[in-house]
Amino acid sequence: MELFLLLELPLLMAMVVFLPQKNSLRKIILLLTSSIHVFATISLWQYPRAVRFNSFLGFDAVSQLVLNCISLLFFVVSIYLIGYLDEKKRRSNRILISCLLGLLASMTLVMMSRHMGLLWIAIASSTLLSVPLVNYYRTPKSIEATWKYLLISSVGIALGLLGTLFLAISATSINTIFLDDILNNAAYLSPSWLKLSVIFLLVGYGTKMGLAPMHTWKPDTYGEAPSPIGALMSGAVTGCAFLAVLRVFQICFYAHLKEFVSPILILLGILSLGIAAVFILGQKDFKRMLGYSSVEHMGMLVLALGLGGGAIWASLFHMVNNTFAKGLIFLVSGNLNQIFRSRKIENIQGVIHRFPITGVCLIVGLLVITGFPPFGIFYSELLILKEALITHQYMVGLFYLLFLSVIFFGYARIILSMALGQPTEGHHQRVKKENFFMVVPLIILLFILFFVGILVPDAFYNLINEAIALLGGK
Amino acid sequence: MGFQILLHIGIVIILSPLLLGIIGKTKAFFAGRWGAPLLQPYYDIGKLLRKGNVYSTTTTWIFQAAPIVSLAAVLVSSILIPMGGLKAPFSFWGDIILFAGLYALARFFIIIAALDTGSSFEGMGASREAAFSCLAEIVLFLDFIILALLSKKLILSEMIMRNILSWELFGPVLLLVVASYFLVLLTENARIPIDDPATHLELTMIHEVMVLDHSGWDLAYILYGAAIKLFVLGALLVNILIPFHGLPAIVQFMVFWGGMIILAIGLGIVESCMARLRLNRVPQLLTGAFVLALVGLLIILVKGV
Amino acid sequence: MWLESALILIILFGIIILGNNRLSTMIQLLALQSLVLSITPLLIHPSIHAFTMTIVTIVLKVIVMPSLLFWAIRHVSIRREVQPLIGYGKTLLLGGFLMGVAFLISSKLDLPDKGMSNLLVPTAFSLVMIGFLLLVTRFKAITQVIGYLVMENGIFLFALLLLEKTPLLVEMGIFLDIFVGVLVMGIIINHINQEFGSASTVNLTNLRD
Repeated sequence: MELFLLLELPLLMAMVVFLPQKNSLRKIILLLTSSIHVFATISLWQYPRAVRFNSFLGFDAVSQLVLNCISLLFFVVSIYLIGYLDEKKRRSNRILISCLLGLLASMTLVMMSRHMGLLWIAIASSTLLSVPLVNYYRTPKSIEATWKYLLISSVGIALGLLGTLFLAISATSINTIFLDDILNNAAYLSPSWLKLSVIFLLVGYGTKMGLAPMHTWKPDTYGEAPSPIGALMSGAVTGCAFLAVLRVFQICFYAHLKEFVSPILILLGILSLGIAAVFILGQKDFKRMLGYSSVEHMGMLVLALGLGGGAIWASLFHMVNNTFAKGLIFLVSGNLNQIFRSRKIENIQGVIHRFPITGVCLIVGLLVITGFPPFGIFYSELLILKEALITHQYMVGLFYLLFLSVIFFGYARIILSMALGQPTEGHHQRVKKENFFMVVPLIILLFILFFVGILVPDAFYNLINEAIALLGGK
Repeated sequence: MGFQILLHIGIVIILSPLLLGIIGKTKAFFAGRWGAPLLQPYYDIGKLLRKGNVYSTTTTWIFQAAPIVSLAAVLVSSILIPMGGLKAPFSFWGDIILFAGLYALARFFIIIAALDTGSSFEGMGASREAAFSCLAEIVLFLDFIILALLSKKLILSEMIMRNILSWELFGPVLLLVVASYFLVLLTENARIPIDDPATHLELTMIHEVMVLDHSGWDLAYILYGAAIKLFVLGALLVNILIPFHGLPAIVQFMVFWGGMIILAIGLGIVESCMARLRLNRVPQLLTGAFVLALVGLLIILVKGV
Repeated sequence: MWLESALILIILFGIIILGNNRLSTMIQLLALQSLVLSITPLLIHPSIHAFTMTIVTIVLKVIVMPSLLFWAIRHVSIRREVQPLIGYGKTLLLGGFLMGVAFLISSKLDLPDKGMSNLLVPTAFSLVMIGFLLLVTRFKAITQVIGYLVMENGIFLFALLLLEKTPLLVEMGIFLDIFVGVLVMGIIINHINQEFGSASTVNLTNLRD
């Protein structure tokens, strides 16, 4: 039943939405499907963790954790889209909604797949399905962004495919690339091919995550895509890619290749942080800044993974918080976009004076993504630093702190002036107050961030613990 | 030994202009003309030999020595390769380097003779010739390396003899060698699509522009030298391409000379079908030839001999 | 022997594509390369499975994708690469160098199946590198897609190493994904054409920091 609701229903609905003539009907289908998806995800909690539907499909704690985040974020975004798409009444949203539902299905498939080939297929289709979403406006700039996104991530996933094939070659003796079989027989993998495979998989899925130096599509794409799509891509699609990286890490852990993979991950992570620090400072475009912010957080995820030990817990916890924080701040940017008709920071000033809810969310979003104390990201950032120091990787810790402080400075300068500065006249006279459907999602996300980031309910805590047990963390 | 060398050189001297005649006839046939007689190159050379020389006052002895040296060099190179039933009369370990060196010597003298005239046109041709042959020589050596690896010999004639084994095992590689060597052949002999021997527009020529100032028997030597060069390099190509060694002498004889005639006709067809390449595309073609030879070499290295 | 000839032919087509600048010739060469490629499964291991692969490859890679690319450039007036990032001669040399690297890497790896030709892995690596080179050095959107497809052809050769091991289902999924990828690329090229009047990515430089 869950299998149908999670995977086949969105796929079915992706085709069904071509039937109705009305845009509003399609939006209702989207909302219904995503809420059913959330319920199905929640109902998975009643089973023991390792659910297997068949040999190809199943869940473990890691994928269930990511699935929960993605499903919730998707639901929130689909509420937001009701308000957001209202403006574009003239255009048919047939392709947009269909691709969104397809994206939901393919992301779920990423979570479910217990076969590395199937995992690749799911990741590739999630990439392809997000292309029409990025190109929604069809302006010259968005076409440019789409082309870069398409080309770079296609090459990335092609390398990922190569890595998958190498994995299969290294697994010749066990003759399968089902994840469970690989993990159980990790000792029989041929090491030279496996190392090559790990490199290619990391580069491939890393491109999809947007790690430096394969990040170049990210600011362009996030800048030009509609804001709710940006929220999905930076929150959910990167989460899928991170899950793929986690699988690679898991295989390395079982094959005793942790010493091989950790330096690569740390390097990628530090590099991403550095690139993000350089480009966030002095950024003039709000949404491009969010793109670099995503590079930063992805870098932090793999850095934590590379440090291992207690930092793996931080990595997963950070991933959860990042999903909702990115969702929040991208949705805020969607509101700002509709109010000010501009993405230039100099044009967006004094939000809190006129639009208090959006303004408060903007500030909270800032506090979350920079890792201010009450929120979860602060805790995970601290854990990462601690792990770097207790494993005596002082240089890593030093660079980490340096880049984080530069990034914090960059964020604070931008967002505080946007939220609190003197409002400029003229730009936002048409919009009197915020749309209901565009405010509710923000509040839901705030609530979620508060709930998982600060309270950390027991069930959730246990889920992360079970997940890191699979990854060899403490 | 002495007699063999004389026989070899005699055959080369007598038959090499015929190759040019066949090429000319083929081109005429494809152009729908009757064309000049088959022996026209002989008439040309004979006519030039009967004429006197004119030397510019700016030239030195180099200008006069160059035609003789280049003719002598290519003639010597001909004794290093077998022709049909006739074995190479002269060979030693490492003679492939001598073979390439003799061509370099001939080219060197033609080039400095061209520079000796002090004409800007000839200097231009000289620089082009130097640049292109530089590229061609690398390819030639790569091909030689492949053949040497395949046969485990460094003697030109024996390298070719062993081909009969190589074709069974390394057919694809030898095809790469033949393809890249064919491009070298075209470059060395200034044939279409690298260069057009019939053109007399200085801006586009490579080889012809260098010999504009030569006249009389000097020019005859140069033309003769070019014909022999084509003959010898063509004979080498036929030797690589057709693994006829080890067959009865009469069969070898027929296969070789048949191969030479087919090669000449083939060259004529290539020249009829293709236009001369733009000058800046020539290095690209030669780089292509280089990459072909390189791939061949890599394959040999991976597969092991 | 036949397999090796086919592999060398595949590399040769790769080299020629690298040195070529006419869009339509490049697409035709790509189709030819894919044709030779599609026969290789039969040469390696003749079976029903291989036969299916051959049929699917011929339909997708030899017929559908090239016609899709031709469709995408049907309105393009300038049908050659105008100015590559680095010249053709240098690209060819670089290609040769990368092929050397590919052969070197392959010599370090041990083949899982000893009976297979040891040219397969180097050829596959070379194609991946040639494709990558095309992607990086050319500005025409269509050439970049061709580079991507050359790369995919290389990956396909790797997949042949596992011909008897991977389930057909997954293979077909991979095929479908690549096909849809190229389809989407074709559509976007079409958009680029309509918006900018040419399919050159030189126009796509508005987004930068």
